[in-house]
Amino acid sequence: MRVVIVGGGEIGFALSQMLAPQHEVFVVDHAPEVAGRFETLDVQFVTGSATNPDVLAQAGIAGAEVLVACTGLDEVNIVACAIARGLGSPQAYCFVSREEFLELHDQQGLAPFGIDRVIWPEAQLAADIERIICAPGALDAETFAEGAIRLVEYRLDPGSTLADRRIAELHLPHGCLVVAVRRGDSFFIPRGASELAVGDRVVVMGTPDALREVARRVTTTTIDGTRQRVTIIGGGDVGLRIAEALEESDAADVTVIERSPERGELVAGRLRRSLVLNGDGTDLELLQAEDIGRSDVLVSVIDNDERNLFASLLGRQLGVRRIITRVSKRANLRLFERVGIDVAISARTAAVASVLHQIQGGATRLLALVEQGAGRILELEVPAGYPTRPLRELAPPLNSIVGAVVRGSAAIVPRGTDRIQAGDRLIVFTTYEAADRVRNYFTSVNA
Amino acid sequence: MRLAVVVQITGTLVRLFAPALVAPAAVAALYGERRDAIGCLVAFLTAALLGTLMRRAGGPAASDLEQIRRIDGMAIVAATWMLIGHLGAIPYVWAGLDPIDALFESMSGFTTTGATVFTDFTAFGRGIFFWRALTQWVGGLGVVALVVAVLPRLAIGGRELFFAEAAGPTDEKLTPQLRQTAIALWRLYIALTVAEVVALMLAGMSLFDAVCHAFTTMAAGGFSPHPQSIAGYGSAAIDWIVTVFMFAAGANFAVQYRAARGSRVALVQDEEFRAYAAIVAVASAAVFVFLVRDGLGVGDALRHGTFQVVSILTTTGYASVDFQLWSDQAKILLLLLMFIGGCAGSAAGGPKVVRHVLMARLTLRELRRTLHPRSVLPVKLGGRVVPEPILRDVQVFMLFYLLAFAVGTAVVVALGADLVTGITASIACLGNIGPGFNAVGPMASFAELHPLSKIVLTLEMWIGRLEVMTVLVFLRLEPWRTARWSAA
Repeated sequence: MRVVIVGGGEIGFALSQMLAPQHEVFVVDHAPEVAGRFETLDVQFVTGSATNPDVLAQAGIAGAEVLVACTGLDEVNIVACAIARGLGSPQAYCFVSREEFLELHDQQGLAPFGIDRVIWPEAQLAADIERIICAPGALDAETFAEGAIRLVEYRLDPGSTLADRRIAELHLPHGCLVVAVRRGDSFFIPRGASELAVGDRVVVMGTPDALREVARRVTTTTIDGTRQRVTIIGGGDVGLRIAEALEESDAADVTVIERSPERGELVAGRLRRSLVLNGDGTDLELLQAEDIGRSDVLVSVIDNDERNLFASLLGRQLGVRRIITRVSKRANLRLFERVGIDVAISARTAAVASVLHQIQGGATRLLALVEQGAGRILELEVPAGYPTRPLRELAPPLNSIVGAVVRGSAAIVPRGTDRIQAGDRLIVFTTYEAADRVRNYFTSVNA
Repeated sequence: MRLAVVVQITGTLVRLFAPALVAPAAVAALYGERRDAIGCLVAFLTAALLGTLMRRAGGPAASDLEQIRRIDGMAIVAATWMLIGHLGAIPYVWAGLDPIDALFESMSGFTTTGATVFTDFTAFGRGIFFWRALTQWVGGLGVVALVVAVLPRLAIGGRELFFAEAAGPTDEKLTPQLRQTAIALWRLYIALTVAEVVALMLAGMSLFDAVCHAFTTMAAGGFSPHPQSIAGYGSAAIDWIVTVFMFAAGANFAVQYRAARGSRVALVQDEEFRAYAAIVAVASAAVFVFLVRDGLGVGDALRHGTFQVVSILTTTGYASVDFQLWSDQAKILLLLLMFIGGCAGSAAGGPKVVRHVLMARLTLRELRRTLHPRSVLPVKLGGRVVPEPILRDVQVFMLFYLLAFAVGTAVVVALGADLVTGITASIACLGNIGPGFNAVGPMASFAELHPLSKIVLTLEMWIGRLEVMTVLVFLRLEPWRTARWSAA
């Protein structure tokens, strides 16, 4: 397959890196100095403006199946997509950074340009963080099948009633399933006989009711009834969106700390009840004066890894219970969690993974990433003509587990005796390595 | 400040205003009152002549309207209102009133105050009463607003004039063109006036009285041809009709225009209107409770309580009853309402509801800032952030407003009035309300005050109508020192 990537920035590079081994990749960027970075990869670099049809033709657009526009300029991305579609590229993915374009896309306003999908990494990041905030005590949270199925990740703290026991003996409520465990650097899908240990990060999937019961047993502090206090450091796009979403759902008392006075005015103008402070999130005196240590959650979403890390560590020092930090450089993710950040989360990882999956994934959908992509949640549709049979006869690939079955508008967390039939949608948890096999499972069964 | 421009344009405005004096002359002639008809014609000729002479004096070079500066605009508006106040007093002097009293009455008319020095109402003819009502009607929307509507040439540079005269801190235009805005406002104003005339006549009032009352209700003025004001008709129907139209006169005309144009939610969305309606409801309920406790019947307490609350809040100043006789508990509420006023962009005077809303939010903001010294706390109105310069203007306005009130009170009391009379006379004139309590109560008149008090109160009406800053800026030496006859 031929893929044309417009824009040789962080996202363009990450995509090229992942796609180059199996596909024919062209990268277009107007800056010649970017080319050096791509020399280590097996891709064709074309210097020139992506809004110039000749340049796109040079990048083999006529024979390409996908164009991904990921420059830093929304307008350039949109125009590049429109021209590429005119020159024969069958699909166009467009990265944007401003709200209005996403709204326009939702109202079919970008359809005339031939843009199939709009990706706004920051918005996705803000939505992910807001979900995690709203699940008290959680390190990760996702919802599937219109909210009928949820996924939550917890860390087992010392004194947890779940630690040092086998999963089968925990008597977890019906309708939930421990789908993955991370212990140190290893990440595995546990069996009934697996034992949990203090410090494990445990991923549980299930219905909202069942997960509420799990939450009660995992988290030691009472959560229901009291509003959370949330401090957001950095009033950029991500911080503002999180604060707006929390105001919208009335889920928390929000304090935003923003360094630039002008940006602070704008943020305060957009928010209704939240408190906006003008100051630096790494200013210990300010954090102490405003009693930030009493926050339930501290979210650090500055566009700078070093300052994010420092602000987060100050928060930890002051006694904030849960700390969520944005990470820009992929290499820093693991480091952040090692020094005590509860949730290190990156906008680009999720965006790149979702584009890759759409290019390669065929009929399956990538619903979410867990543990920075080590775990993946896929949705598979059981093909027509597939015989109805109990789940245990399905024998899915190693390192994958069917977390939920969605039939029509109903969703269940299945046991081995539950039957699946053609037309069902399976929500499957899998590790990164097993994802390809899972993706091809039904195609191979039919073959 | 370029004096040639100020003189030339003020002259233009005065000359355009002059024909208004023909109307009372015609009414007086219709009723066979020769003295008043001649008085009005003399005033007309004086105004026309003065206006023409001023235009000549300014010279054609000064008619370059596109270069009106802010200070020129303020000078033009302040001078025009002062001159028109004097010219409008001529018919009263002709009818035998003392010159100071005549100026008081005339200024009270144009500024829609409604405070009167008339004691013997039988001494004046219908022409004079019509003129009294007409001055308020013209003053309600504004002299400049009238001229801009009829004279397109003025609309080009008239922006500074228009907003120097308009009430409230907003400079909202309904349409991109200033002239269309002025015309739209006048159409709404006229429509409401006609509606009230019809309603009052259906309730049994004569045509002449209905017209006079409609003129002074819609202007939030308060002059009545009846010596006992609205109370003289003793009709519940008339009381309620007038209450409704006073309420409309005190609400923002631009918002009402949009509501009438089909935007049904315009009124509900407008934060100032909501606050205005809430004040009316709460104050009426409180006065109602006090009146019932003082022994009034439930129906009468509701009728007079609501009437008087709306009348004072909108700065109209009609009386449906002699509220001087009410208990102090009910009267203190009315006194507090005098310091609020109607909505911005209405015919009402006073500091305006929107300024109080902003002041309340500023106060809350400072309280919150004490807890969080580094916090960013924008003040919002209707979901939008209010720029800091406007907030500062509001605070400065309130400061100077109270200062003007204090100075006026001190003068009136020093010249022999009792404390309550002094306080209420000062706020009633500064807020363009009309009657106060005690010696200046609703059934009394300002005639007995010291002549110097009357001059100070006349100035207060002028200052209050032009929203303080337009006038007080000339207390500084700078505009005078930099004044030149012309730009060259």
